[in-house]
Amino acid sequence: MADPISSVRIGNPGGEVVKSAAGKEWGFLETLRGAMDQVTELQGTADAKATAVLNGSGMDVHSAMIAVEKADLSFQMMMHVRNKIVQAYQEISRMQF
Amino acid sequence: MNLFGMLELSGGAMSAERQRAEVVTSNMANAETTRTPAGGPYRRQLVIFSARRTPEFPMMLAGLRNASARGVRVDQVVSDPAPPLQRYQPGHPDADAKGYVAYPAVNPVEEMTDLLGAVRSYELNAAAVQAAKNMIQQSLDILR
Amino acid sequence: MSMIDTPMTAVLGHFLDLSAYRESLISSNLANIDTPGYRARDINFRQELDRADSGEMQYASFSPLATQVRGLIERPDGNNVSLERETLLLAETQMKFNIGVQVLRSEFHRLSSAIHEGSTS
Repeated sequence: MADPISSVRIGNPGGEVVKSAAGKEWGFLETLRGAMDQVTELQGTADAKATAVLNGSGMDVHSAMIAVEKADLSFQMMMHVRNKIVQAYQEISRMQF
Repeated sequence: MNLFGMLELSGGAMSAERQRAEVVTSNMANAETTRTPAGGPYRRQLVIFSARRTPEFPMMLAGLRNASARGVRVDQVVSDPAPPLQRYQPGHPDADAKGYVAYPAVNPVEEMTDLLGAVRSYELNAAAVQAAKNMIQQSLDILR
Repeated sequence: MSMIDTPMTAVLGHFLDLSAYRESLISSNLANIDTPGYRARDINFRQELDRADSGEMQYASFSPLATQVRGLIERPDGNNVSLERETLLLAETQMKFNIGVQVLRSEFHRLSSAIHEGSTS
């Protein structure tokens, strides 16, 4: 079965429903990419700070904990966005039926 | 300085105060010692404290911390230069030609006060250790 | 970055940084309570917190100014550390740090709820 994301990207001609759905898709995808970038960045910071605490280089524990929590929250947000996208595609699939 | 560094700092201070207490106790124990292997009466000992620059953490070197935390250490243990107390005891084995015996220049009241001071300071720094420990534990609680 | 980095988390982060730093100065003062010539040091907490929160400088470089405490009585050996003052501040700073942590936790819980708001599945 064709991957819904790639078919939209290529601009698969399919009629009004798909095109307007494509507009909506981009919004979600941009958000998802942004969320993923944020997760990567925050996770990197959290890892660096946690390591710094453990190897005794003078990092505050609370500072590392805050970084870990932020990374975790951004991950949750990314998952939330991903779930919304999946839901949206499921709706679209039903529409095309 | 981070909280782990503070544990070390306060722990070091406790160690310094303990050394001070040991020296004072030694003075008190030897207040009447008229002869020593080195010759002459016991000489009263003193500790000299000095502020210690704490080790530079890499983060401090990067300018991310104002490296101004100061520990303490016992710089030296020195002998009190004060002359021994002379007491007239002609029958004493350690009496000199004139019948005087040299005793350590140790004042028991002064030593006791010093000891109490060392104990109090030791307790203060123990409280600081607890404070740092408490804050570290609280920090971990940030993650629920 | 916008949703996770709220003003609250930034302020609380600075608050905890400064509280921990202040604690290190108090510990230094207590460690040197018997050191001849040692002068007690502290930071102007309010001022440093305002400076950090105003964002006027890139606070990635954390550099609060440790200054000498005024109004202390100097002993014959030149040491001016006050037992009462440091003990009080030790307890107070600890408590404030704990409060900061609790508020930060509730802020993170709030963010977590906001993320999961409207989840039907």
